Amino acid sequence: MKAYRLLLRLVPRRLREKHGAEMEAMFRAELAAARERGALAAAAVWLHAIADVCGAIPRNVLDQWRRRGRVGIPRERRSIMFGSDIRYAWRSLTHQRFGSLLVIGMLALGIGSTVAVFSLVNGLFLRPFPFPEPERLVYVNETAPKWDLEMTGINYQDYATWRRDQKVFEAIALYSPRAFNVATDEGADRTTGASVTMDFIKVLGLQPVIGRNFTQEEDAPNGPLVAMIGEAVWHERFGGRADVLGKELKLNSRVHTIIGVLPKAAEFPGSVRLWVPLQGDPNVHASNYSYDGLARLKPGVTLEQANADLVRTQQAIYDDRDKERVVTPFARDLRAHLTRDFGTVASTLGAAVSLLLVVACANVAALMLARALARRREMGIRLAVGASRTRLLRQLLVENVMLSIAGGAAGLAIGQWAISALVASLPDQAPAWTTFTLDGRMIAFTIGTSVGTAILFGWAPALHAMNNDVRGAIATATASSTAPVRGRRTLWALVVAEFALASLMFVCGGLLVRAYDRVRNTDPGFDASNVLTFTIAVPGVKTPDDASGAAFRKRVVDRMRQIAGVTEVGMVSCAPVSNCHWGNFYTAEHAAPKGPNDADPVILNRVASPEYFTAMGIRLKEGRFFNSSDGIGGPDQDSTIIVNESFVQTMWPGAESAVGKRLYRGSRPPRDGPIRWLTVVGVTKDLKHYGLERPVRPGVYLPAPLMPRAVNTVVLKTSGDPTLVANAARAALREVDPEIPAYDMRTMDERLTRSRSLRAAYSWMLGVFAVMALVLALGGSYGVTSYLVSQRTRELGIRVALGARSRDISSAVLKGSLAVVLIGVAIGIAGAIGAGRLLSSLLFGVPPYDALILSIAAVTLAATGVMANWLPARRAARVDPMISLRAD
Amino acid sequence: MKTREYLILLALAEADLHGQAIARAVQDLSEGRTRLWPVSLYGTLESLEESGLIEELDDPRHRPADESEKKRFYRLTRVGHRALVTETDRLAALVKVARSRLKPQAGGVK
Repeated sequence: MKAYRLLLRLVPRRLREKHGAEMEAMFRAELAAARERGALAAAAVWLHAIADVCGAIPRNVLDQWRRRGRVGIPRERRSIMFGSDIRYAWRSLTHQRFGSLLVIGMLALGIGSTVAVFSLVNGLFLRPFPFPEPERLVYVNETAPKWDLEMTGINYQDYATWRRDQKVFEAIALYSPRAFNVATDEGADRTTGASVTMDFIKVLGLQPVIGRNFTQEEDAPNGPLVAMIGEAVWHERFGGRADVLGKELKLNSRVHTIIGVLPKAAEFPGSVRLWVPLQGDPNVHASNYSYDGLARLKPGVTLEQANADLVRTQQAIYDDRDKERVVTPFARDLRAHLTRDFGTVASTLGAAVSLLLVVACANVAALMLARALARRREMGIRLAVGASRTRLLRQLLVENVMLSIAGGAAGLAIGQWAISALVASLPDQAPAWTTFTLDGRMIAFTIGTSVGTAILFGWAPALHAMNNDVRGAIATATASSTAPVRGRRTLWALVVAEFALASLMFVCGGLLVRAYDRVRNTDPGFDASNVLTFTIAVPGVKTPDDASGAAFRKRVVDRMRQIAGVTEVGMVSCAPVSNCHWGNFYTAEHAAPKGPNDADPVILNRVASPEYFTAMGIRLKEGRFFNSSDGIGGPDQDSTIIVNESFVQTMWPGAESAVGKRLYRGSRPPRDGPIRWLTVVGVTKDLKHYGLERPVRPGVYLPAPLMPRAVNTVVLKTSGDPTLVANAARAALREVDPEIPAYDMRTMDERLTRSRSLRAAYSWMLGVFAVMALVLALGGSYGVTSYLVSQRTRELGIRVALGARSRDISSAVLKGSLAVVLIGVAIGIAGAIGAGRLLSSLLFGVPPYDALILSIAAVTLAATGVMANWLPARRAARVDPMISLRAD
Repeated sequence: MKTREYLILLALAEADLHGQAIARAVQDLSEGRTRLWPVSLYGTLESLEESGLIEELDDPRHRPADESEKKRFYRLTRVGHRALVTETDRLAALVKVARSRLKPQAGGVK
C-alpha cells in the first residue's frame, strides 16, 4: 500500500489532497479482489494503476495550465472588475476631456493618413487581380535599345513564332486597345475595345458568361466579322438577354456578329467594353511593332526561364530577317509592369505617412507619459493600499485601448474620405484595374495600428511612470515638485524626435511642392490657352482612297471655320500630351550607312495641315511652316518636311541651319523605285509631346496631303473660352456626317493639367502631411512644456520669492525648451538632405539641398518651437510665490 | 462528451453515489467495457464538478445511513441532467442515421 501511496505522489497535489484517501481505499479493494484470483491478476491491477496515474499527469498539467490565468479570482468578480475598468477609464477620460480629445485627434490624423496611403498601396500592389492564379501572369513585349525604345510593341510575326515554338507558357496572347464607332439609332457612339488573339481569355483564365470564345478561323486574316461584348454592353444595350448571341452590331460601319459575352474581369487592362479578333497574318512580315503581350506561365516556370525561352524562339527571327538582333523579346511580372510608374511615388508616400504616424505616436506617448507622471500620486496610493501592479496596468491599458479605438475609428473615417477625394482628383492616372475601397485587409490594418499604438505608446510610458518605488512616488508627488529626471528626459527625447521628423517631412514636402511648381511652369513648347481639340473617327469604308479622305476632312475644316468664336482650324495626326505616338525611321542625305551598333532612334512622326501650327501656337526656330502647296503632289513625289530642334541635333549635329537639307523615310533606300526626298523647310522649337516631365524625342511633321487619312485630330483656336464652342463643334460635325462621332474632346489646358495630375496629387499629399507633422509637433511640444512648467510651479515660486524677475523665469523656461526644439530641427534637416537624395527621381531637377526650402524649413520649424513654448513660458513667469508655495 | 463522463452522469442519474460506487456502476452500465481506475475516476469527477454538471453532497442528512462520513458523495445537478439528456438525444440521432446508412450494405454484402 505504501508503494501505491508513493505512486500517487505523481498525481497533482490538489487532486491528491482532496481524494487521496478514497483513491487508496478504492485501490485496496481492487487489489484485495484480484489477489483472490491469483498473483497474475494482482500484477494486472498494479499495471493498470500505474497506467492510470501516468495517463492522468499530462491531462492535469494541461488543465492546470489552462486554469492558471484565472486562478484566485472567481469568474463573477472578474467580469465585474472588467466592467469597472471600463467605467473607471471612461470617467477618467471624460474628466480630462481636452487631453483625451487631443490624443484621439492626433491618432485620427496619423491613422487616417496612413489608411489613405495604405489603401492606395493596397489597391495598387496587394489586392489580387480578378483572375485565377494571377501570379502566373506575365506581360510580354519587345525592346530595342538601338532605336532608343524601351518597349517597341510586339510584331505579329514575332508573336506567331513564339506561340509556335515556346515551351514555357500555358498560353500567350496579344491585345491592342482599339476604339470603335458603334452604330446606334441616333448616329454613332465611340466605345473603347480591344483586338485580341484567340487565346486572350485563356491566358486570363476566364470563360465567357454566355456564348463562346473566338475560334482559330475567326482569328485568321479575312476571317468572319465577329465580336464578344462585355457584361456592361450586354446589360446596357441588350438588357442582359440570352438571345444576344447571333445578334448584329455595326462597328466602324461594318456588321459584326456577337458570339459571346465576357465577364467584368476580362476588361483588361481597363475600360475595354468589346473585343474583336486580331486576325493577324503570320506569313506577312510587316515592320509594325504595336501590340502588347500577355501570357500565363506553366506551373513552376520562373520568369528567368520564360525570358530565356522567348529569346531562344526569337532565334528564328534573327536568322531570317533581324540579323542585327535589334529587337529582343522580354517577359516581366504583370503587376510590376502595370505599377511601374507608381513604385517610387508609393514608397515615398508610404515613408512619409509612416513618419507622420510616428510623430503622432510620439505625441500620444508624450501626452500619456505626462498624464501618467501627473497620476503618480494616485497610482502610488493605490499601490500602497494593496492594488496589484497588474491591476493598475490593466486599468491603464483599458484607458489606452479605449482612446486608440476611438482614434482608429475616427482615422478610418478620415482615411476613407481622403481616399475618395484622392481618387476623384486622379481621373485617369490611376490604373483602371485598381479599386481603392475598404476591405478586410484595411480593417485589420487599422485595428492593428490603433491597438499597437495603444500598447506601445500608451502602456510603456505608464509602466515607466509606475516603476518608481511606492514611497518615492507618493512623496515626490505630494510635494508637487519637478518630475523625476528619467521621465523628463524621455519627454524631451520625444520632443526632439517630433521636431526632427517634422522638419524632415517639411523639407521633403517642400522639395516636392517646389518640383511641382517647376513642372507647372515648364514651357510645353506650344500655346495651350484657348485651344480645343477632339478626334474624329472616320471608318475606312467611308473614304476608301486618299482623295475622298482629303475631301471629307476639308468639308469638316470648312464647316468648323464657320463656328462663331473659332479663329483658326488645324488638323493633325496626333496632338501633344494626348498619349499618342507613331514612330518611324528617317535617313539623311549623304549620311554614312549605319553600322550594326549605331543608334537609330525612332522619330516621332506627325502629319499636319498648314493651319495646325498657328492653331496650336507652335514656335518656329527657322524657315517656315507648311503652306497649301506643300505635299500637293501626293506620296509619289518629292515633298517637304518640318523637323524639331532635337531632330536637327540627332541628324546633323553641329549644323548651322537645317533648312534645305534632304532626307527620306526608312532606314535604307527603298528596294523598288526611286527615293522620295523630303526637303526641310522649317525647324520648330522642341515641344513636350509626351508630357512635361518626359524627355523630348526627335520629331517631324509631314504635310497632310501626303497621308490625308492619318489626320484625324481637329484643333480649334478660339477667341474666348474654348469650352463654349464644344457643343457647336459637335453639332457642326453631325451636320457633315451624323454617323461620325467626335471623341476625346478636351482643351489643351485640360490635357496639360491631366498630364501632371499624378504629380499634383502626391506633392499636395506630402505637403499636407508636412503641415500635419508641423501641427503635431507644435501640439506635442506645447503639451510637454506646459506639463513641465506645471510640475515646476514650486521651484519657480521659490525662484520668484528669492528675487527672480518674471523675464528671467520666462527666458529660463523658453531657453530650455527651445534648445530641445533646435536640436530636433538640426537633426531633421541633416536627415532631410540625405532623404532628398533618395527622392531625386521625383524632384524634376530641384537639388535636394535647395537653399530656399532648407531655410524656409529651419525658420518655420524654429518659429513653431517658439510658438509652442511661448504660452507656457508666460504662464511660468506669472507664477505667484504665495500661491504656488502653499499649493500643498 | 467523453464516454467516461457520459457513463458517470448516467450512473449518477439513478442515485447519489460515492467514488468507488460510481466506478462499480460504470462498469456495470458499460457491461465491463469501461473500467475506471482511481486517478482517472477522481480526475473526471473533479472536472465534472468544476463544469457544474455534478456537485458534492455536503448535507449529512442526505447520506445513506450505513456509509462512513469520509466518503464524498456526488449527485447530478440540474445542468448535468440536461446535459445528459441532450447528449443522449445526440447519440440517438447519430445511431439512427448510422443504422439507416448501414442497412442496405449489410444486406447486400456477404
